[in-house]
Amino acid sequence: MFDLFAEQLINGIVTGSVYAIVAVGMTMIFGVLRAINFAHGEYYMVGAFGAWVPIFYLHLPFPIALIIGVFTTAMIAALIGKLVMSRLVTATAEASVVATLGVSLVLQNVVILIFGGGYKVFRGGYIQPVSLFGFTLSEQRLLILVVCLLVFAGLELMVLYTRVGKAMRAVSQNVEACRIVGVDVQQVVVWTFVLGAALAALAGVLTAPVNVSVYGGMGGLITFKTLPIIVMGGLGNVRGTLVAAMLLGIAESLIGGYVGLQFRDAVGFATLILMLMWRPHGLFSTQARF
Amino acid sequence: MSAGEVSVMHARPDLRWPVAAVLLAAVGSAPLFLGNYALHSIIVALIFLLPAQGLNLLVGYTGLLSLAQAAFFGIGAYASALMAVHFGAPFYVDFVVAGAVAGAIALPLGVPALRLRATSFVMCTLGFVVIGQTVAKNWVSVTRGDMGLSSIPRPVFDFGILSFKVATVTQFYYLALAIAGLATLAVFLIVRSPAGRNMVAIRENETLADSVGIPTWTYKLVVFVISAVFAGLGGSVYAHYLTVVSPTSFEIYYTITTLVIVLGGGAGTISGVVFGSFLFVGLSEALRITPELRMTVFGLCLIGLAFWFPKGFAPLITRAWSYLEGRPSKGAT
Repeated sequence: MFDLFAEQLINGIVTGSVYAIVAVGMTMIFGVLRAINFAHGEYYMVGAFGAWVPIFYLHLPFPIALIIGVFTTAMIAALIGKLVMSRLVTATAEASVVATLGVSLVLQNVVILIFGGGYKVFRGGYIQPVSLFGFTLSEQRLLILVVCLLVFAGLELMVLYTRVGKAMRAVSQNVEACRIVGVDVQQVVVWTFVLGAALAALAGVLTAPVNVSVYGGMGGLITFKTLPIIVMGGLGNVRGTLVAAMLLGIAESLIGGYVGLQFRDAVGFATLILMLMWRPHGLFSTQARF
Repeated sequence: MSAGEVSVMHARPDLRWPVAAVLLAAVGSAPLFLGNYALHSIIVALIFLLPAQGLNLLVGYTGLLSLAQAAFFGIGAYASALMAVHFGAPFYVDFVVAGAVAGAIALPLGVPALRLRATSFVMCTLGFVVIGQTVAKNWVSVTRGDMGLSSIPRPVFDFGILSFKVATVTQFYYLALAIAGLATLAVFLIVRSPAGRNMVAIRENETLADSVGIPTWTYKLVVFVISAVFAGLGGSVYAHYLTVVSPTSFEIYYTITTLVIVLGGGAGTISGVVFGSFLFVGLSEALRITPELRMTVFGLCLIGLAFWFPKGFAPLITRAWSYLEGRPSKGAT
């Protein structure tokens, strides 16, 4: 009994790690742009495809494919950031919704046009099982966990101690004041966006060996799962997002295991709605800004 | 020109009535010169006009961005289908029930949701869609899960001496036209009434509206419910047109499309939304042949819309309409 529970728990933590890496990108983008990036899941998908191509066509090893995948996505994100996202600084909320939805549609369908709509099998990654405290899980899942911790530690350091990090915090607090003191808001926005998209891509590549199948539409579900996480964690709140992502991952895993798999995908929004009724400003925000 | 001169400009006749008459005639006689495929596209555009006008009331006139239209669209579709399949009720009963059920469900959902701030409210409404789809997939005893409900009868109007069945595409075209027309009229009346002006006041400055005594909370809730009713009615017509409903009736696509119609056509205008529906849905259906290319173009249009037409096509329509008004033959400007 306990074994099953522990297994679900560990799976949940791994899932939560994936969600966390994706969600932190989206929440940082919200922090500087005040806009929900509805195309965020698509960068997860593009990252996975970006790694799948070198493995499938060139038989390159997984680490190289990972770098290629993340790098390609970052380049695409830089382009989109300059063309689309930087203009959203002064746009209305509805304009942001429409624009990012448009980007999402374009990314999804261009990928399908290029690669076809079928499921691609992702061969690669470290799927050998490893034993940890008496439980077996694949090496890849362990890798995901470790990367998640590294990412969050890195972000923490970046935001607190680097110039870029401080600029990001400044933009998320007061755009006008930034302009007055000479912070290049456009550049910070694009950089944050590229970072967020790259993180999503990283998550996509790391999870691809576990999911096995890669397809053009897989980003949509990811965006859906991430939205409740960033609201629950507090929009723009990096640490809160980590906790919220872990909670959701574990909740999904437990409900999927004990109640039924068909309810897994609804857990996120159900929890979100319940939380919004009870604590409208997120679990961790100190003020009800959004 | 110096002050004493009178400017001489060529007169242009007032063409608005003739143009309107031609448009009406074209719309009325469309089945005569359009094939079934084109008619189908227009029918879908007309059906979508219902949830779109509902959303228009919410977003355009009251200033509340909601993504929940797909939820109430789906609820209306299922309610209508269940009435028809399990109780054998005629179409007009299903239609009314669909709207009523959608509105009834919107009420308890709206009360807590409307307390939230803008971004959280948007998320919450999105959540309704997801929950709706999950319920549709899992409440198998009622909804038959993923298999959905099929063999929904086409509308039959049986009033004793006057009875006809709406079976062909052409007949459905006129039915959809009538329903969409009535819905647009209803929205027009709401908007022109004092209630409509209060809604705009809430959109422009909610605190100020509150201070002059407008019950903003009540208004927001009522508009939310009305918007849901419109979406539910649209779902009902859709169900009877397609003759099947399934969890895909809750697809986020319906929400995105109604949002694009409203924002792209012109939030806060009626003619803009009508135009938007024909443009986006009609085109979208007509381009079904290459779905990926269609969606890519759709996506690019959305991006272009967000930046270059933030008010949608409505300003262009208004300009075109006043151009048609022409100029009188004499007089200084």
